[in-house]
Amino acid sequence: MSQSIHIEIDRLEGTLLRVLGLIERRGFHIDQIDMYDLGADTRGLSVTVRPRDAGRNIDILGLQIDRLYGIKRLEHAPERAQNAEPSAEKLSA
Amino acid sequence: MPTNKPTGAQLVISTLKALGVDVLFGYPGGAIMPIYDALAGSGLRHILVRHEQGASFAADSYARATGRVGVCMATSGPGATNLITGIANAYMDSVPVVFITGQVATHLMGTDGFQEVDFLGLTLPVVKHSWLVRDAAQIPAILARAFAIAKEGRPGPVLVDIPKDVAASFVEASEMGELPAWTPPAPKAESIDAARALIEQAQKPLLYIGGGVHMADADAEMRDFVERTGIPFVSTLKGLGTVSTYHDLHLGMLGMHGTRAGNMAVQATDLLIAVGARFDDRATGKLSAFAPHAKVIHFDIDPAEFHKNRRADVAILGDLKQALPALQPKMPDISEWVKFNKTNKWQHRFKYDAPGKGVYAPGLLKSLSEKAGKKFIVACDVGQHQMWVAQHCEFEQNLAHLTSGGSGAMGYGLPAGMGAKLGLPDHHVVTVSGDGSFMMNIQEMATLRRYGINLKIVLLDNSSLGLVRQWQELFYEENYSEIDLSDNPDFVEVAKAFGLSAFRITQRHEVEGAIDRLLAADAPTLLHVLIDPRENVWPLVPPGASNAEMMEERWDEPIDSY
Ligand SMILES: Cc1ncc(C[n+]2csc(CCOP(=O)(O)OP(=O)(O)O)c2C)c(N)n1
Repeated sequence: MSQSIHIEIDRLEGTLLRVLGLIERRGFHIDQIDMYDLGADTRGLSVTVRPRDAGRNIDILGLQIDRLYGIKRLEHAPERAQNAEPSAEKLSA
Repeated sequence: MPTNKPTGAQLVISTLKALGVDVLFGYPGGAIMPIYDALAGSGLRHILVRHEQGASFAADSYARATGRVGVCMATSGPGATNLITGIANAYMDSVPVVFITGQVATHLMGTDGFQEVDFLGLTLPVVKHSWLVRDAAQIPAILARAFAIAKEGRPGPVLVDIPKDVAASFVEASEMGELPAWTPPAPKAESIDAARALIEQAQKPLLYIGGGVHMADADAEMRDFVERTGIPFVSTLKGLGTVSTYHDLHLGMLGMHGTRAGNMAVQATDLLIAVGARFDDRATGKLSAFAPHAKVIHFDIDPAEFHKNRRADVAILGDLKQALPALQPKMPDISEWVKFNKTNKWQHRFKYDAPGKGVYAPGLLKSLSEKAGKKFIVACDVGQHQMWVAQHCEFEQNLAHLTSGGSGAMGYGLPAGMGAKLGLPDHHVVTVSGDGSFMMNIQEMATLRRYGINLKIVLLDNSSLGLVRQWQELFYEENYSEIDLSDNPDFVEVAKAFGLSAFRITQRHEVEGAIDRLLAADAPTLLHVLIDPRENVWPLVPPGASNAEMMEERWDEPIDSY
């Protein structure tokens, strides 16, 4: 199932590559990307992603994107930190 | 044209000094020459290694040992790519290191210029953050930010890639500005309350202590928590020594080469309290069978760690220095549980009476740690010897045990020992290495010699890639594929050729005298130890198995002559 993540990113060296690379490395296909200008220093990025297997959890992905530098705002991803719930398949016990 | 404006390169050096750097490790070359030009006579202590990988590992261990930010420099292209293993190592183990690399001049970038590689691109997955500097005036601010990012939150490596023309250009004097302040988030009171409730209901609570506690500088708070609650604890490879391994309640390391008592405790616990640990697969074994009866409390500074591998019933985000003292449970009676663990610890303690007269490596390491005393620091390499160090040496402090944990990079030991000794010159720093690993950065013996770095080296030589051989023996039907190193050079002669003192032992009765001689030496010295090539590390949880399925120790018939 595809889901979209909306991110505001700084116009900094490597920020875009960092985000896209991280999404792929953490086990998600990227199905669609849209970018738009949000002023001098900021770009908006909407990425539609699909987990490569059932063990991949979008909330955890959101937390990992969120900790990158240059990420200003992240939507539709996790209720930050403490309440992110993992998928049942991946987790034990 | 002469000018009194500083160059970008001069700003690099003056900013490093302003940031309090006193030692940095590196290797020069074309693209970074302006910075080396500015370095000369600056008063900064630069250690010229013999391979950039050595510099990266030395900067990493300097940071681990001292708690400061490590600094490492290299030139563009091959100089920079030689750093990658070290950068990945610092990333995996969350070590704060700032890497400064030269880059080809801006107009050559993107043309496949001489010694050009897209180093920022190459390192994106293994750095916390990185910059390609376009404007020399920004150098002070960028370096200051790089140092702050390396240290704050979950620490890690940061890269600053500086094109040659940017380093050489003159700028209006520029300031690094205010150092950005970062305050770790305070834990939420609700999470602390929820954790307290779980502990108060638990019958078999167990602490699972990871390397994150030391990184948060919360060793004292962790020790206090253990004393207050009396909860038994297991350590990860990187958590060893956070609470002294001599402690009565310490059940040893958990996981693949963990102790039987430690792994049994994890299987039986009803409340696992993970502190600064990340449920790494070497620690958990088969995830679905890890701590199968336990609720989980997880403390971490990195929210992305929560629920990543194991769902936490209570996740406590924030500063451990605040969170641990805030958690004040009224302890239930856990005396039966403590007794159960202490009995296991005693019954399954390591034995050192291996048959034969050859050197028994675990016994040697035990003596080494006893004789070296409290100011003992070990830097290990990767392999069987690394696991023996973790099992058989005692550590009074976490910084005493330097190891490439997450990445498992052979070649770490020698440069890591060097970095630690430079950071903490009054400690007994010993590198314990294997013959395969030692060869990977053997050239750094020249660096020891040049700077008179009084590192001691114990080389446990089994003439093979021991840990791989062990796996081939156990899991690949003794199909010994490409692990033979029996044509190793004479390491004593090699060390002497590099200008070190060196001597060899082959028999068990020589061990005590050799350790005394090694520790007493006042120059870098190598002790070459021949050990039985068939010796294995026990216990062992087979890959993919649960921690309950440990394979037990067995003594092989000894080989007494080599
Ligand atoms: C750079 C690197 N290459 C390969 C490996 C895989 N590896 C892990 S342990 C090991 C054998 C190590 O041999 P040695 O250093 O002699 O130590 P021993 O196991 O014999 O104590 C190898 C090849 C690694 N960890 N790092």
